[in-house]
Amino acid sequence: MRHLGYTAVLAALLGSAAAAQDVTLALTNAVNTLDPHQSASVGLDLSVLSHVYPSLILRGPDMELHPSLATEWEAVDDLTWRFKLVEGAKFANGEPIDANTVAWNIARVTNKDNPTRISSWFTPVTGATVISPTEVEIKTSSPYPALPAQLSMFMLLPPEWAASHDPASETMSGGPYVIERVTPGDSITMTRNPDFFGEAPAFEHVTFRTIPETSSAIAALVAGEVDFINKIPPSELPRISASGVAKGGAVPSTRSVFIKFNTEKPPMDNKMFRQALNYAVDKDAIVDVLFGGEAEVSNCQVMTPAYFGYNPDLKPYVYDPEKAEEMIKESGVDLSRPLEFEVPTATYLQGEEVAQAVAQMFADVGVQTEYRAMEFGAYMDKYRKAHDLGQMSLLGQAWPTIDADGLLTLFKPGDQYAYWNDANFGAALEAGNATTDPDARKAAYADAARIMCEEAPVVFMYAQPATYGVSNKVDYTPRGDDWVRAFDMKPAG
Amino acid sequence: MTFFKELARSKVGMAGFVILVLFVAVAVLAPWLGLEDPTRGSLRARMVPPDWWGPHPLGTDEVGRDILSRIVYGSRITLMVAGAAVVAGGIVGTFLGILAGYAGGITDRILMRLVDIQLAIPLMMLALLVVAALGPSMVNVVAVLALTSWIRYARIIRGQVLSLREREFVQSARAIGASGWRIMLRHILPNVLTPALVVATLELARIIVMDAALSFLGLGVQPPNPSWGRMLADGRTYISTAWWAVTFPGVAIMLTVLGVNLFGDWLRDYFDPKTRSAR
Repeated sequence: MRHLGYTAVLAALLGSAAAAQDVTLALTNAVNTLDPHQSASVGLDLSVLSHVYPSLILRGPDMELHPSLATEWEAVDDLTWRFKLVEGAKFANGEPIDANTVAWNIARVTNKDNPTRISSWFTPVTGATVISPTEVEIKTSSPYPALPAQLSMFMLLPPEWAASHDPASETMSGGPYVIERVTPGDSITMTRNPDFFGEAPAFEHVTFRTIPETSSAIAALVAGEVDFINKIPPSELPRISASGVAKGGAVPSTRSVFIKFNTEKPPMDNKMFRQALNYAVDKDAIVDVLFGGEAEVSNCQVMTPAYFGYNPDLKPYVYDPEKAEEMIKESGVDLSRPLEFEVPTATYLQGEEVAQAVAQMFADVGVQTEYRAMEFGAYMDKYRKAHDLGQMSLLGQAWPTIDADGLLTLFKPGDQYAYWNDANFGAALEAGNATTDPDARKAAYADAARIMCEEAPVVFMYAQPATYGVSNKVDYTPRGDDWVRAFDMKPAG
Repeated sequence: MTFFKELARSKVGMAGFVILVLFVAVAVLAPWLGLEDPTRGSLRARMVPPDWWGPHPLGTDEVGRDILSRIVYGSRITLMVAGAAVVAGGIVGTFLGILAGYAGGITDRILMRLVDIQLAIPLMMLALLVVAALGPSMVNVVAVLALTSWIRYARIIRGQVLSLREREFVQSARAIGASGWRIMLRHILPNVLTPALVVATLELARIIVMDAALSFLGLGVQPPNPSWGRMLADGRTYISTAWWAVTFPGVAIMLTVLGVNLFGDWLRDYFDPKTRSAR
């Protein structure tokens, strides 16, 4: 505690406390790009950019979809969605935000010759048709019930401005805030946009600061230098609340962490061996000890209860090292060589601790691993570009639409991310995709989850908690997805 | 035995020597000290505070491994990596230093320019680049540390050789027709071993710190194998709730480097004729 006190005094001397109408949010990484179509990182790039660019729909802190530029939307038929837009909305340079803007932006991300980072979200979308300046229709080649949810991650660029400017390094506001200054790798400051078409945000100025180190972030929060931090180990939360100036907390997130098997490499093609490894991991110990009970054990599926398509009937593999050992013997796999275990560093909350704990548990049942820590970028290159994952790796996945269509697609046969080929699972996903009837979809995805549990292409572990620390001066509604938005916050009291 | 008599007269040198001997002894005897497995712990015993007479005298780390055991086994890895790097760098550097000094001419100029070029590149940066490109493994770390180290030997040894080659015993060996290789190995090498040894001791300290820095950045030996730098990196998140996870490995690094430096300083004075006559 004394250490903290000194840091607090020092930090208070260096930086003055923020005024009531200002808010400072800490991010663990620096923003990669300012182009909202070239990043899929909700907790980072998209969070910052959603202060600047308008979206048709926003997902609020209550996890529901709320109107933003679109005032209402409906599925006209299985293949058409119609959106009504706010009238008279404008970008800061005077360009109108209307149906043409939407059509141009949809065209930009569905351009097959020049795909963007988020183009894969819109694979079924064939195009957008302008009905009137305030009405637009989006057509899809197959039913796409998750489209409105997907559009909550999609932001609109001003078409005319984009013709002569590079959106990767410049911005033109049409959202609640205008970017004032970008200090690469350090901070981004914004001021309220007086011409914003929606409700004016509560804070006049917003600053995003990059603080990668957890202990520095906590010290900055306690010193009043920043008002919001996240991704803190749960064991540090009481320390934040004890400071008296801020409080720490956790809510279940939508991100499941698991050990992904590359079933294309032996011995991971052996189903009994994969199941045995599921029995070998003490999920409860990880949740209780590493996360102080703040995480949730996964119920034998990568979806959390918040997902559409969650199967409530599945139960986790029980922790039974003896059974695991027997099954490994019975499976007859060759364990003379250690299995590759790839771990992206500084990516998941306490990810390296979890990975080392799991490696210990595997060793307890006689499975030796070769631990390979790698930088997240290098890991993603192996995962996505090279298609060359190790036999096992630590991975956490979430799908911001909180829909099985999306998260489970990452395991679909033929998908480059799958590393697993199960025809029955693929058929169940197809069935869920073929209709917009919610009950039929739910049944199909529950079936897919059941197959995945049985086939065990991963070691199901836990849903990562979304931890945060927030200043007592700020009113914040905790949320389980990754969005960090100043316009969802208010001055307290 | 004059060596130990001299050493006993210097408190500082003796302290360094004792620390160094302790460090080597602990590293060599680690498996017989009856410690827990440093790579396996119980998750349920996570971040147990130090208990001097209990099962975990220095506490446990963030996945429940015994910190004392990790420091002791970590010393083996430090000793192996630093020792191998010092020996490899020393052999290469001494050899090239003798070659440059004795051969002179174009050989000398090429080798010394190489040294200049390498001195212009920050060593840590060079090490980071090479290890990041080749991938972290013990062999790569040893190779890169040796690479950052050979230049110091080469420079100092070359200077010694420049004066040695003009001495009578070298001149006479040459007069009776000894080959260049024979003169370098039989007549010059034994005379430059002492300065090489002094450089080696001081290099050892520098390399231990650099090895810790590399493993702090995740480029050293891979977990779960214990390494002091890695322990610092893993424990720093919990610095205010579990001080022992970073403090003890930090103390281990500091004490070892201090000891090696003290002993190295004394060794240099001991072999230096000027300071020797002053004592």
